[in-house]
Amino acid sequence: MTKQEKRFMALSLAVAGVLIVPQQAHAMHIMEGYLPPAYCIAWGAVCLPFLAAGLIRLKKAARQQMLLLAMAGAFIFVVSSLKIPSVFGSCSHMTGTSLAAILFGPASAAVLGLVVLVFQALLLAHGGLTTLGANTFSMGVAGPLVAWGVYKLCRRLRAGRKVSLFLAAALGDLLTYCVTSLQLALAYPSAEGGVLGSAVQFLGVFAPTQLPLAIIEGILTVLVILGLESCAAPELRQIGFLKEAHHD
Amino acid sequence: MRGKILNIEPLSLLTGALAALVGWSLLAGSLPRPWPAALALALGLALALGGHSHGSAVQIDRLAHASRWADMNAALKTLGCCGLLVLTLCCRTPWPPLGVFVYTAALCMAGGAGVRRYLGLMALPAAFVLLSAAALLWRWAPAPGGLADLPLAGGWLVLDAASQALARLVLARALGALGCLYLLSLSTPLPELLAVLRQAHAPALLLDLAVLIYRYIFLMLDTAARMRVAAASRLGYEGAGRSLRTTGLVYANLLGRSFARARACQQAMESRGWEGQIRFLTRRHPVRAGHIALFAAPAAALLAALALGG
Repeated sequence: MTKQEKRFMALSLAVAGVLIVPQQAHAMHIMEGYLPPAYCIAWGAVCLPFLAAGLIRLKKAARQQMLLLAMAGAFIFVVSSLKIPSVFGSCSHMTGTSLAAILFGPASAAVLGLVVLVFQALLLAHGGLTTLGANTFSMGVAGPLVAWGVYKLCRRLRAGRKVSLFLAAALGDLLTYCVTSLQLALAYPSAEGGVLGSAVQFLGVFAPTQLPLAIIEGILTVLVILGLESCAAPELRQIGFLKEAHHD
Repeated sequence: MRGKILNIEPLSLLTGALAALVGWSLLAGSLPRPWPAALALALGLALALGGHSHGSAVQIDRLAHASRWADMNAALKTLGCCGLLVLTLCCRTPWPPLGVFVYTAALCMAGGAGVRRYLGLMALPAAFVLLSAAALLWRWAPAPGGLADLPLAGGWLVLDAASQALARLVLARALGALGCLYLLSLSTPLPELLAVLRQAHAPALLLDLAVLIYRYIFLMLDTAARMRVAAASRLGYEGAGRSLRTTGLVYANLLGRSFARARACQQAMESRGWEGQIRFLTRRHPVRAGHIALFAAPAAALLAALALGG
C-alpha cells in the first residue's frame, strides 16, 4: 500500500469505529440535554393525544390487565437493559416496544413506552427527562403503531404468522430509527444540506448498528411470541391476542 | 475481566481512542499547540482505563436508597432538579452548564455516591455524548478549508469553527443536564418520586402501573440472570445463531412465567378486596431552609448568567 492508501485505510477504520461504537448501550434514545427546549416541548405535545387515547383504553381494561401490563412493562425494561451474548460483539439488545404493541395494541404500548422510558432515564441514564417527549414519540408511538399496523396488514393478506411477526417487529424498529434521526436532524440541520442533509447524515451514523438490530428484534419477537403461545396461552387469550389467531 | 488490575476491554480502548479524537476536535484551534492533544489524550486514557459499570439499574437504585439526601423532601428535590435542568437547557454559552455539572456532581459524590463510583456511572453516558458529537463536529465537503481537514472518499472531512462552537454548546448542555438527572436519580428512590407525582395529580392509572413495574423489574432481572447462567452452563450461547435462539427461548420463558405470576398475584389481590387502586405509605420529610438553598443558590446563579447573556 502507498502512504496515502494507508492513511485512507486508517481513517476509514476510525470512521467506521465512530459510527459503530456510540450506540453500544443506548439503542436509539436521544440523550438528556441533547435537544433544545422548544423541541422538547413540541415532541411532548405531539405525544399527548396518543397517551390520552392509551389511558382511556387502559381504564376500560385496567382491572383485568393491570398486572399483565405491568409485567410487559417490566419485561421491556429488563430486555432493553440486557445484552445478547456473542451476537455482533456484545452491543445488541432488544427494544421490546413492538412486541408490546403486537400483544396489547398500540394505545397501551404508548403508555407502557412512556413509563418504561421514565424508568430507563432514572435507573439507567438512557434517554432523559427533557428528551422524554421525543423518545416517547419515536419508541412508544411511531414504532409500535407501525409494528401493529404491519402485523394486522400481514394477517389480513394471509401472510404466515412468523413472517408477519418478523416484518412487524423489524419494520417497527427501523421506523423508530428513522424517526429519531429525523428528530435529531430537525433540531440540528446541517449548514449546507439543511434538515434533509442532516437527516441523511444521522441515518448514516446509526445505520451500521440499527439495521442488524432490526433483524435481531424481528427474530427475537418471533421466538418470544411462539414461546409464549406454548407456555402462556391462557394469558394470551385473556388479552385477546390468541383468540384472533385461532380464527385463521 | 473484573479481577484484573487494569480491566481494559478492546471496546473500551476503542471508545477511549475515539473520545480522544472528539476531545481534540473540540479544543483544536482555541488553545496553544500541545494542550488540545494532551488534554484529549488524558480524556481518552481516563475513559479507556476507568472502565464503566454494568448492571447499573440495581446500583443506581441502591445508591438512591442509601443516599445522604434520601431524607430530603422528595418534592423539593424533584422541583429543584427539574428547574436546574430547564435552566441548563436554556443556556447559550458552554460555561454555565459546565458549572451545573460540577456542582451536581459534587452534590452526588457528597451524598454517598463516591468519586470513583460516580465517574464509573458517568463513563457510559459521557462516552456516548462525546462520540455522538462526532456527527456534529465533522462534515463531509468536496474541498478542504476548516480548522482541520482529513481526506475521505474523494473529498474531505472538515472541522470548521461554527460546528465546533455548536458541538461545544450541545456537549456542555448535555453534560449539565446529565448531572441534574443523576442528582435526582441518585438521591431519590423511585417510589418517593412516584409519590410526588401522585401529589401533583398525575393520572392514578399511570402511577399504579409504574409502581408495579418498579417492583417487578428487580424480580425479573434476578430471574433473567439465573436463566442466563443456566443456559450458559448448557453451552446455549456458543455461536451467534444458537445464542440468538437461546435468548429468544429465555425471553419467552421470562415473559411467560411473569404472566403466570401476574395471574397468581391478581387472584391474591382480588381475594383481598382489591378495587383497582394501589396505595403505599410514604415517610414524610419536612422541607428545610438549608435544603432549599442547595437548589436556590445554583438556580439564582444560572438566572444571573442567563440575564448577562450566558
